[in-house]
Amino acid sequence: MDRLTVQQLIERLGEKLALEISTAPPPTGPDVVTSDVFRPGLLLAGFEQGFNADAIQVLGQPELAYLESLEELAKAEALARLCVPSVPCVIVTDGGPAPKELIATANASGTAVYVTPMAASTLGRRLAAGLDNLLAPQATLHGTLVDVYGVGLLFTGKSGIGKSECGLDLVEHGHRLVADDVVHVTRAPQGHLIGSGNDLLRHYMEIRGVGIIDVQAMFGIRAIRKQKRIEVEVKLVSWSDLEDYERLGFEENRIEILGVGIPLVTLPLVSGKNITVISEVIALNHLLKLHGVHAAREFDSRLRGLTSRVPESADLDRGDTE
Amino acid sequence: MGDGLTERNVVIANRVGLHARPAAEFVKLASRFDVDIKLTKEDLTIDGKSIMGVMMLAAECGSTLLIAVDGPDEAEALEALSAFLETDIEEGTGLA
Repeated sequence: MDRLTVQQLIERLGEKLALEISTAPPPTGPDVVTSDVFRPGLLLAGFEQGFNADAIQVLGQPELAYLESLEELAKAEALARLCVPSVPCVIVTDGGPAPKELIATANASGTAVYVTPMAASTLGRRLAAGLDNLLAPQATLHGTLVDVYGVGLLFTGKSGIGKSECGLDLVEHGHRLVADDVVHVTRAPQGHLIGSGNDLLRHYMEIRGVGIIDVQAMFGIRAIRKQKRIEVEVKLVSWSDLEDYERLGFEENRIEILGVGIPLVTLPLVSGKNITVISEVIALNHLLKLHGVHAAREFDSRLRGLTSRVPESADLDRGDTE
Repeated sequence: MGDGLTERNVVIANRVGLHARPAAEFVKLASRFDVDIKLTKEDLTIDGKSIMGVMMLAAECGSTLLIAVDGPDEAEALEALSAFLETDIEEGTGLA
C-alpha cells in the first residue's frame, strides 16, 4: 500500500498505540503517505522551514508546555500553523490532555486529534515502525513459496507445470510450505521481500487429479510456515520452451520483484528429473554462496591453474639444481 | 498478442457466487484456450487458470470482476469466459 486513510491507520495500529480519539477524522481527510513522524516544536515557535506537513504530528510534553506558556493570540497562531490541510492527524502523547484550543482549531480545520498515554519517544518509534510495515509496497504473485533449509524458494512457471506438486514433494521431504498458488509479497523496510499466504487459502493446495488437500492437517505443523523471506526464484519451464539455460553457474541471473533483485534459476523440466533434490541443491548452493563458497568459480580457478602452466623447458636437467 | 480487445468487466450472475464448483468449471474452460488470463477483484489479481486463485477471490453474486486476456485465443476466450460468469449456472439445480 502506498497510502492509507487515518481510519485504516487507527484500525491497524490504534490499539497497539493506545490511541484515544479526541477529534474525529473528516470523511475525506488527507491520507497518510509517509512513515515519517514529525515533532512540530519549532513550527509552533514560528519557524516554518523544514516543517513536514505530510507527516503525522506528535505533540509531547515540551510542545504542550510551550503551548501552555503562550498568550491566547500567539497560541491560536501557533495552532493554525500546525493544523494545515495536509496533516493527516495530530497525536498528543503522555496522556495529554489535548489543549482545548487545539481541539477547537482542529475541529475548525478538520484535523483528527488523538491522545495516547505513551511517551512521545516510544510512540514515535512504534508509529514509524508500524507505518513502515503498512506503507510497504505489496504485490500478489502466482507461484509456490517453500522454505527449503531456511532458504525461501519461490517456484514460478505456467499453470499446470507442476509448482504445487514440487512444493508437496518438498514438504514430504521435511521442508515447509509458506504459500501455494497465490503468494502475497511485501517489500520490508530493510529492503528484502517477505512472502506470505492468503487468509482464505491458508495451506490448502490443489493437486491435479486429486483435488484440494489440507497440507497442515496432512503433514502437521512442521510442514507449514506463515511467512518467509523470498531469497531465490526458481522458474520451472518445459524443456521445449527452453532458450538457453545455465551450464556452469558463473553468471547469476537476477529478477526484480518490487524493485528488489533476487537470484533467478531457470529449471527445465523433463520427466524422470528429481526436482525436489535439485531444489534442495539450489537452496544449499545459495547458502554456500552466502558463506563465500562459489563452486563454479573455485572449480574454474583450479582448471585455470592447470591450463595456464608454463611448459617446462625440455633441455633443463631436473636433477641439476644448485 | 492482442488487437486491443483484451479486457472486460463482468458481473457475477451465479446466485451463490463463485464457490468451488463454478470456480473449477471456470478454470476448466479457461484452460482450453491458449491465453494468459488475469482476474481482478478490487485490488487482488490472480491467474485465471489457477483454481485456488479463482476461489481466493471469493467473488459473490453481483460483484464485478475484470477479466484480462492475452494470447492467440484472446477474443474467443474473453467471449466464452465472460458468458460463463454472466450465467447463473445454479439455475434449476434447486439451490437458492
